[in-house]
Amino acid sequence: MTEAAKGSRAAGIPGLVRGLAATARTLARPTHTSEYPDAPPSLPPRSRGVIALLAENCTSCMLCARECPDWCIYIDSHKETVPATTPGGRDRQRNVLDRFAIDFSLCMYCGICVEVCPFDALFWSPEFEYAELDIRELLHERDRLGQWMATVPPPPALDERSADPAEVSALGKPARAPRAPRQAAAEEGQA
Amino acid sequence: MATVDLPLPRLGVGAETAPRPIKVVLNWGRRYSLWVFNFGLACCAIEFIAASMARHDFIRLGVIPFAPGPRQADLMVVSGTVTDKMAPAVRRLYDQMPEPKYVISFGACSNSGGPYWDSYCVTKGVDTVVPVDVYVPGCPPRPEALLQGIIKLQEKIASESLSSKGMRAKYGGHRAATAAEVTRPLVAPPTREVVGG
Repeated sequence: MTEAAKGSRAAGIPGLVRGLAATARTLARPTHTSEYPDAPPSLPPRSRGVIALLAENCTSCMLCARECPDWCIYIDSHKETVPATTPGGRDRQRNVLDRFAIDFSLCMYCGICVEVCPFDALFWSPEFEYAELDIRELLHERDRLGQWMATVPPPPALDERSADPAEVSALGKPARAPRAPRQAAAEEGQA
Repeated sequence: MATVDLPLPRLGVGAETAPRPIKVVLNWGRRYSLWVFNFGLACCAIEFIAASMARHDFIRLGVIPFAPGPRQADLMVVSGTVTDKMAPAVRRLYDQMPEPKYVISFGACSNSGGPYWDSYCVTKGVDTVVPVDVYVPGCPPRPEALLQGIIKLQEKIASESLSSKGMRAKYGGHRAATAAEVTRPLVAPPTREVVGG
């Protein structure tokens, strides 16, 4: 469209009227201000507010602390010996989590710790209301991280045409044939 | 560089000895007319601007983003990465604000350096330069998180009882400025020059 054609189309209406028409249209439209403190905000799904910890799942493998680009995760743990459950068995060792803390004044909310956790101990929660008067309180210790678990939304539903999850498809499989008794196998070998 | 001591802030006799109900009224006035001065240094400033626009609109909470400069502002929001080169400017503009003044540190970078905590040129938190009242976590925080930080600051203002002693305690006993900052003459108004003559 050339400049002349533009001018001829708008020439009939004075600019003032066109401006008032725009004002009138805006006046008729409802405001889109979200009344935040009074009305809860509509957060997008998977929004990254705070990281919650399910301490029961944590094996203190340190993967999250090592992958964190900001080094804002602090983990302390010690080893405990679990006595053997069968006679003649071997004692096992397991890690016991002593301290798990995330420094939210440093955290860059990249979510690598949540991605990398092999035992699903870390989750995103959409909560964002934890501004503090003292910066030391932004270091959330284990119990505070655990309290965020209540705010973690349920995972999104699977796609309709997706394959069954591994747990479900395992149920449908036939049971494995029982192994031949060990003694009989040993006799066959001798024969 | 030679330094001079700036005068320490003080409260007027009337405000210092005012009875409790008067102080409540004064705090109520301070709380809901926070002229804000945005020290936007990085991407968090975009979220600050979003919070000032029509959807989040923090004028609802009495935060007014039309302060012409730090000399007319009550609240400074440091949003973004404070570099060591910028830190003196942050301090200087903070010094220019009238008492009582408040600072919100908005985002991980200004809280503690954030992703740049190991950098050679980034200040490890704006609280190493100016006293901070509220820390808003996030990278960047949501606009609602700023609104929540403002509400937290308003609660703090409502519960505080201002005194000269308390205001001076923020400075640790002295305010120093370089002599050049104080004695530099005013910038002369531009003179009309005849173009081409």
